[in-house]
Amino acid sequence: MGMKQMVAVSAIALAATTGFAKAEEPLNAEVIHWWTSGGESAAIAVFADAFNAAGGKWVDNAVAGGSAARSAAINRIIGGDPSTAALFNTSRQYHEIIGEGLLNDIDAVATKNNWDKVLPEPIAKAVKVDGKYYAAPVNIHMPLWIWYSVAALNKAGIDKAPETLEDFFADLDKLKAAGITPLALGGQRWQENSLFSAVLTNVGGAKLWKSVYGDKDQAAIRSPEFRKVIETFVSLKPYVDQGSPGRNWNDTTALLIKDEAGFQVMGDWAKGEFKQAKKEIGKDYGCIPGLRPDSPYVLGGDVFVFPKTDDAEKIKAQHLLVEIMTSPEVQVKFNNLKGSIPIRADVDVSSLDACAQLGMKIMADPARQAPDASQMMEEFVYGSVQDIVTELWNTNMTVDQAVDRFDKALKG
Amino acid sequence: MGAHFTRHVKRNLVAYIALLPMAAVVIFAYLGTLAWSVRLSFSSSRLLPKNDFVGLSQYVDLFDTPRWLTSLGNLVIIAFFFLLICFILGCLLAIFIDQNVRAESLFRTVFLYPYAMSFVVAGLIWQWILNPDLGIQQTMRGLGFSGFVLDWVVNPKMVLYAIILATVWHGSGLVMALLLAGLRGIDSEIWKATRIDGIPTWRVYLSIILPMLRPMIITSLVLLSISIIKMYDVVVAMTNGGPGTASEVPAKFIMDNLFERANIGLATAASTVMLITVMFIMAPVLYFQYFRKSGSSS
Amino acid sequence: MTRVTPPTIVVKRPLSYQEVWGRVGIYAFLGMLALFFFLPAYVMLVTSFKGMDEIRLGHIFTLPQQFSVDAWVKAWTSACTGLDCTGLRVGFWNSVKIVVPSMTLSILLGAINGYALSFWKVKGANVLFACLLLGSFIPYQVFIYPLVRVYAQAGIYGSLPAIVLTHIIFGMPVMTLLFRNYYSGLPVELFKAARVDGAGFWKIFFAIILPMSAPITIVAVIMQVTAIWNDFLLGLVFAGRDNLPMTVQLNNIVNTTTGERAYNVNMAATMLTSLVPLTVYLVSGRWFVRGIASGAVKG
Repeated sequence: MGMKQMVAVSAIALAATTGFAKAEEPLNAEVIHWWTSGGESAAIAVFADAFNAAGGKWVDNAVAGGSAARSAAINRIIGGDPSTAALFNTSRQYHEIIGEGLLNDIDAVATKNNWDKVLPEPIAKAVKVDGKYYAAPVNIHMPLWIWYSVAALNKAGIDKAPETLEDFFADLDKLKAAGITPLALGGQRWQENSLFSAVLTNVGGAKLWKSVYGDKDQAAIRSPEFRKVIETFVSLKPYVDQGSPGRNWNDTTALLIKDEAGFQVMGDWAKGEFKQAKKEIGKDYGCIPGLRPDSPYVLGGDVFVFPKTDDAEKIKAQHLLVEIMTSPEVQVKFNNLKGSIPIRADVDVSSLDACAQLGMKIMADPARQAPDASQMMEEFVYGSVQDIVTELWNTNMTVDQAVDRFDKALKG
Repeated sequence: MGAHFTRHVKRNLVAYIALLPMAAVVIFAYLGTLAWSVRLSFSSSRLLPKNDFVGLSQYVDLFDTPRWLTSLGNLVIIAFFFLLICFILGCLLAIFIDQNVRAESLFRTVFLYPYAMSFVVAGLIWQWILNPDLGIQQTMRGLGFSGFVLDWVVNPKMVLYAIILATVWHGSGLVMALLLAGLRGIDSEIWKATRIDGIPTWRVYLSIILPMLRPMIITSLVLLSISIIKMYDVVVAMTNGGPGTASEVPAKFIMDNLFERANIGLATAASTVMLITVMFIMAPVLYFQYFRKSGSSS
Repeated sequence: MTRVTPPTIVVKRPLSYQEVWGRVGIYAFLGMLALFFFLPAYVMLVTSFKGMDEIRLGHIFTLPQQFSVDAWVKAWTSACTGLDCTGLRVGFWNSVKIVVPSMTLSILLGAINGYALSFWKVKGANVLFACLLLGSFIPYQVFIYPLVRVYAQAGIYGSLPAIVLTHIIFGMPVMTLLFRNYYSGLPVELFKAARVDGAGFWKIFFAIILPMSAPITIVAVIMQVTAIWNDFLLGLVFAGRDNLPMTVQLNNIVNTTTGERAYNVNMAATMLTSLVPLTVYLVSGRWFVRGIASGAVKG
């Protein structure tokens, strides 16, 4: 039995138990999302196909650009004409609309499928508000992988991926000496911010990550450890090429694919680019989850939320969507295409690639799990933090100035 | 007033009715929404509008935000050079085209077509041409000028001029079109008279013709100012505010805080500041240009 | 409008040495600037006719060696937005559906406003107009949230009427300004004579004023077609899923990137999207210059 049929059968079984089977009309579900690139489209098609196979009718509403799509969804909600489901990041982006009572909870499905047990703690925290589940997580992205080009490293006389921060800097120097761009960075705010987060997790470790971004602890912000993070971040500047400012992340990954650059800090979605260029893990490129044995595995990702409606048919469609999107088979198939890892540990990982399997293994240790920065602060606070990071990178801000500004911004 | 006013209204009743749509638009769409957004600037609204009152704290935060101050400064620089260069270039183009040149319509079309393109397109294409790895710099180096540097879009000190370049490309054709039209309306007697007096041509343009074109100049500058104060798309397409915050502008600050950062209070405070600034700068200009004389007659 | 004698010396005698250099200078100046202005269009054109291999290896300024229209065909018929791979076709017709009523209504309203403001005495009208003009300087973003709410109350949010109404609202300041200034330049005697004959508001408007409005109407058409066609933000927010304009699709296509950026398709899509306002400009450029002069006359 193929994947599609299996999903279909399980969905029909579900439909029968929820009494949906007697409905003649297909369940319409309009879904707003921003997954418009090749790999992303293929991934969301998995959801669409599974939903249609279960007797639904998927109405696709793709809006390019995360914030454009999210504000379209919010405008529709405010305008009283919401979609059936809308995509958000696993973060606090949707917590305020929950507070205003504009989303339906999906506790029924969550309880039935035992989400309390199945989901990793940071993810569960992000989608559970006031004891109820309001969002269906569909994947886990680790945004801070360090990718490298095997050929570029070899050319610079490096035969082994770095395991410590010292190794990493030594390799950067070797690459520079060999005339290869050591660190590929797209000079956009969010990418610079990813680099900073990677330095924070790898130099400061899980403790500093949580105390600075999570607790906003002033002592931690003013600690020598955090100063060292800032200094390390700034010391990376000379390893970046001149064409960096404004470059898109995938154009930046292309530098690794063409062996013109050594390393790039980027989420696991970068794999899609390597795969499309027919590159193989281990042979052409590699992934490093962190530069210390206990470096935190940051859990980002995407969720679907379900705007408030009293229409019983629509609620049925919402529940069917949740059921299908989070079912183990669909999860594996979807995440393989999306480049992320499944939200639940109880799935068959054998078909995932080596990097994803490594990620699943690390994530199995709760001590390594860490929430993404966007789950620990409001969006406007995170925005100010990103402003500081981008200025730190692009101007001659001193460490003292940076510490002061972090302190102020994190107070909110 | 009473009886007189009633008679006045009766005589002009249809005109009052005809202006109702405009009144509705002004009152509901413009004044109403502005009042609402000024109101929100005194609240603690984040993702959704709230009804509380927090005094001036959003404004205090706003002027404590380095990015906002950078945005304001950038807008001043961009607007100044944009208006100045568009004006000078538009003048020169109009005057030169008016010298009985061949292929006049070709020249006119070439200078005016950018205005038909959207700002997004203007930003994208100039970003590409100025990109050091793809555009002019790469081409010149390929031709053997290995030291050639044109890194405006990636250089924080020069990035504003890259944006000015793109906007000038977009807007100066409009000034040209307006002034050219004005020049065509100048009485030929004036030229005859100045020639007899032996005044040099450049002086005639500077001290006689340009003052006569004042309405066109003001109209073109007003139209350009409208677009430059709202400038958003071109920056997003070209630099997205970078490198760092070197090319941020106020409209983008407002937009980012409204949508990406879910910070409606701060965004509406910023737009209120913009509104007040615009009122102070534009109100006198608009008044003197469009209302002074007609105001007295109505 | 009659062509006024150009200001330069009417050339009948041979040009002096100085004058020859003057002519050379004029053409050199115009030629150089024409090159600068034309450069982006040139880059877009040549890129859209190249294959990706050529773009990767060559410079952006070189002519295509293997001329290909594939990128144009792809942009029009099969470029993808999410799961939907139907190219720009759909957006094109959506944009037409939006532009035609928005333009017609906003011009008609602008003309009526301008006419009432110029010829009729309406107390407070100038104050309204001043508010309208000031309002045109405020970034659109400020208006979006409240309008969403109002439309939702009226039950038209995310529909064709919503986006048309929005374009009417934001087009009103400039349209009113144009017509008001144009009408201020018309001889007021015409109006007075008609009044004496007992003609009313609408009769004068349709029988006398409107027939004289051709030049400024052309300008208004050009400006509104350009502004509405090029709009992205309002279309995205208000038009609703079934009416998304071409610019939104263009954004989806250009900003959707996996693997290599298909520069040729992007450029072709960009040019296709600009085609309507460009055509309008090219066809009516001459009238634009004439008409806009009449609209800029001081009131």
